[in-house]
Amino acid sequence: MNMIVSNKTGETALFMGNEAIARGALEAGVSICAAYPGNPSSDIIKALAEVGPEMGIHVEWSVNEKVALEVAASAAMTGLRGLAAMKQNGLNVASDFLLNLNLSGIRGGLVLVVCDDPGGISSTNEQDSRLFAKMGELPLFEPSTFQEAKDMVVEAFELSEKLELPCLVRSVTRLSHARGNVELGSLSTNEVKPFFDRSKPFINIPSPTNAHKGLRQKFSKCREIFENSPYNYYSGPENPELMLVTSGAGLFYSQDAVRCLDVSKRTGILKVGTTSPLPEQFLSKHLIKTQTIIFVEDGGPFLEGNIRELCAGRPEFSNTKFLGKLTEDLPPVGELTPDLIIDLLCKKLDIEFIPRSAEYSEAVKAAVQNNTPERGSGFCAGCPHRATYWAIKKALIRDGRDGFVLGDIGCYGMGAGPAGYQQMNTMQAMGSGVGIASGMGLLEQFGLDQPVIAVCGDSTFYHGAIPALLNANQHGSNFLLLILDNDATAMTGFQPHPGLGKDAMGRQVPSVKIADICRAIGLEPEIQDPYDLDTTIKTIIRLLREKQGAKVLILKRECALVAVKSKAPAFSISVDAEKCLGDDCGCNRFCTRTFRCPGLIWDAEKKQAQIDQAVCTGCGVCTQICQHQAIISEAS
Amino acid sequence: MKNSAKDNLKQQVIDQQKCTQCGACVNICPYTEYYEDRIIPLYHCDLQEGSCYDICPGTPTDFKALQSLMFDKQDITSEIGSVKEFCITRSSDQDIRINAQHGGTVSTLISLALSEGVIDAAVLAGEQDVLLPKQTAVTDSSRILEFAKSKFVVSPTVAEFNALASKNEVQKIGVVATPCQALALAKMRLSNDPRIQANIKKLKLVIGLFCGWTFSWEALKKVIDEHVGLKNVLGMDIPPSKYHNLKVFTPTGETDISLDDLMPCINPACNSCIDMTAEFSDISVGSARLKEGWETAKSWNHTLVRTIAGEKLIQTAKSHGLLEFKDVPEGNLEKLKRAALNKKENLE
Repeated sequence: MNMIVSNKTGETALFMGNEAIARGALEAGVSICAAYPGNPSSDIIKALAEVGPEMGIHVEWSVNEKVALEVAASAAMTGLRGLAAMKQNGLNVASDFLLNLNLSGIRGGLVLVVCDDPGGISSTNEQDSRLFAKMGELPLFEPSTFQEAKDMVVEAFELSEKLELPCLVRSVTRLSHARGNVELGSLSTNEVKPFFDRSKPFINIPSPTNAHKGLRQKFSKCREIFENSPYNYYSGPENPELMLVTSGAGLFYSQDAVRCLDVSKRTGILKVGTTSPLPEQFLSKHLIKTQTIIFVEDGGPFLEGNIRELCAGRPEFSNTKFLGKLTEDLPPVGELTPDLIIDLLCKKLDIEFIPRSAEYSEAVKAAVQNNTPERGSGFCAGCPHRATYWAIKKALIRDGRDGFVLGDIGCYGMGAGPAGYQQMNTMQAMGSGVGIASGMGLLEQFGLDQPVIAVCGDSTFYHGAIPALLNANQHGSNFLLLILDNDATAMTGFQPHPGLGKDAMGRQVPSVKIADICRAIGLEPEIQDPYDLDTTIKTIIRLLREKQGAKVLILKRECALVAVKSKAPAFSISVDAEKCLGDDCGCNRFCTRTFRCPGLIWDAEKKQAQIDQAVCTGCGVCTQICQHQAIISEAS
Repeated sequence: MKNSAKDNLKQQVIDQQKCTQCGACVNICPYTEYYEDRIIPLYHCDLQEGSCYDICPGTPTDFKALQSLMFDKQDITSEIGSVKEFCITRSSDQDIRINAQHGGTVSTLISLALSEGVIDAAVLAGEQDVLLPKQTAVTDSSRILEFAKSKFVVSPTVAEFNALASKNEVQKIGVVATPCQALALAKMRLSNDPRIQANIKKLKLVIGLFCGWTFSWEALKKVIDEHVGLKNVLGMDIPPSKYHNLKVFTPTGETDISLDDLMPCINPACNSCIDMTAEFSDISVGSARLKEGWETAKSWNHTLVRTIAGEKLIQTAKSHGLLEFKDVPEGNLEKLKRAALNKKENLE
């Protein structure tokens, strides 16, 4: 059975961090859950969507994160409980709403879970979303363990209702994506009848300052509550030589380091679970125990800065040394690892740690090199984006005016790398390629004579590109927008979007076609199958040259991963062993070295190209690139 | 890392504006293509040795080796290459002459080569867009006149030869070539690449065209459009140098455009060419010069026969009565040699 909805209170379940968060929401009796997908946060809503109908709650993939937070807030505005989940970039999108909602407050419980991605493993940026809690003067929980991931969500709902304020829960990749034991609490269902009290509107004007005063009072009250939070605790000797002050996944790293070095008698760990507002008295009480403090936290120097602020000017801390990212004793960028903490502890405690022999390390390195294939991030076999970028590259070279491609994040973002023949030249926020193009398409009057292409995916189009396209058409920007419509939010795990006619819980819903939106904006889009390379190339060149203003070409082809699951391949592809001349061809392995679909492989024994039938999706694009027509397709 | 052949080709030829768009490097691999009067490297190839570099007319060439491979030693002149025979010819068929640029000698010879089975396909230059040539393989001699007129922008003819020669069904190919194209084809004879060797064995006839220079398409289009409007171009001709103009034939008559206006349009690669008479051909053909003046001369050709194969074809044309011959005025050969030498010396 799905343990997310288990009634067995007190039992232990093995949950991914994100599942623990979802379970917490169910134990808190959540009614509405909304998110826009983005890793490392996507599994939260996925887990809830699977049990939504059974639990009688509404779970949705919203069009973007701002709308997700607004939808979740609707619950809290009527006395219900709402959960919104997003990754760090998503919180940027939602922040305008959040930084008004903090002042206007709420009635029921609203929890915003933000999953940060230190090191940007699956992101275009790295940022510390905790700063939003400081900026918005909002309560912030940072779970360190899987148990806390669940419990803190329940706690955050309670606190949110008590303070009438949205609460933030911040996770990181290593917690969201790892698994650990969680002792289940009891599920609760909402018994409240929602009611919108018109006598208490959520409006900050005429005096946002007054609203701000109210927020300050709530924040102070929250600080008092956090002084006694069980999520803040110290473990270690009474007067350690040094103290690791940590939050989130940093706790594991700290514990690992202390255990590996066997320095628990010399080192204390002060774990902080409620990092905004800081429990000042609790912290002062423990920080005084040592004169050397090391901050172990993922993201920026958040605890570090705030605690140094707290201690500043206080005589009892005048001799305390604070070490961390601000002092660059730990790297101020990238993700923390236990090794980094171990190295720093060795330095500060003057000890040596050799985890394993040099020979062992070398052996591991060799084993990895010899036994694992080299794999960069790339497109799947049969991915329509590969065909699209192949066409873009050829079209831009043929056009000959040094045209360039403005894009953003999605599977097609890999167009910036070798998979997309390095065709994409910008990658920022979702929809930003179109927004930049809206400006770039006006620079002709200043002498820009290069053609401009913007690319965006279907889900991105709904999420963030529509206003940009509207803007472009209004101002007569001259560029070509390619909408890489693969009928999927593929990169984050195939969540539905407004064009697909179904919602997170699998229900049939109305769909809105991209072409219809373009028409409503005033742009008649052309639609082309990117698998037809020749026509796609010609169409791109024609549109680039043909007329002024914004032009839209929808490159429509279902994601190969979706297609391969739902229908038989269109073609059976093979290499004609007589026609493929192998290394004698003079093509320098064009298909496997330049085109590089994973379905096309080099047979080292036969010294010929070959189709990996286990991987090939039968798209037939590669049959168009061999100069000797040695790759053949038969309708299957 | 050492440069690949493709890198060298780009750096030493394309980037130096020495690429004539002859098409030699196209259709022997997928990395380069011809598009709208440009040879464009599409993808990176890291092979250090490549036929693309070796057969390019813009890369270093062993002319002596080529001459001794293709011609009889006693025929070779320093100014215009091998000369077995120098004659003034024109087609006996008035239809051909009307459609041809000058005397119709080239059309007649190609048509004959096809019908006699000397070749089973000819690579000719047609037109794909206004003034933009399109290389085409023709197997039917009745279609020859579609391609009869001179083109003023280089056609990627050699690319079409490469494609055609790799087909099993074609065994004997004839090419009408500018000097640079003829040189590219000749250089293939020295190649040690088995694919190129197999291709070049199928080359049975090269009819070279005299060529002073050609135009770059984009630039030419612009000037012509300004003077007569692109839509109105029925044909063009460049009369002898004393006229110093380009004639454009339009539905309403002729317009002369001064060569001064056209000089900036000249294909920059032509400035580094030393071959006016397409020396590496079996037969080379250009416009004739006659004492009677241009009006008469323009319906005749200067024809240089260079090889035994060329000689044979001319003889057949003569015996079939397909070509008319006119006595070569005294001094014509010397004048031609001087003009050709002039081109060589201007460069050096």
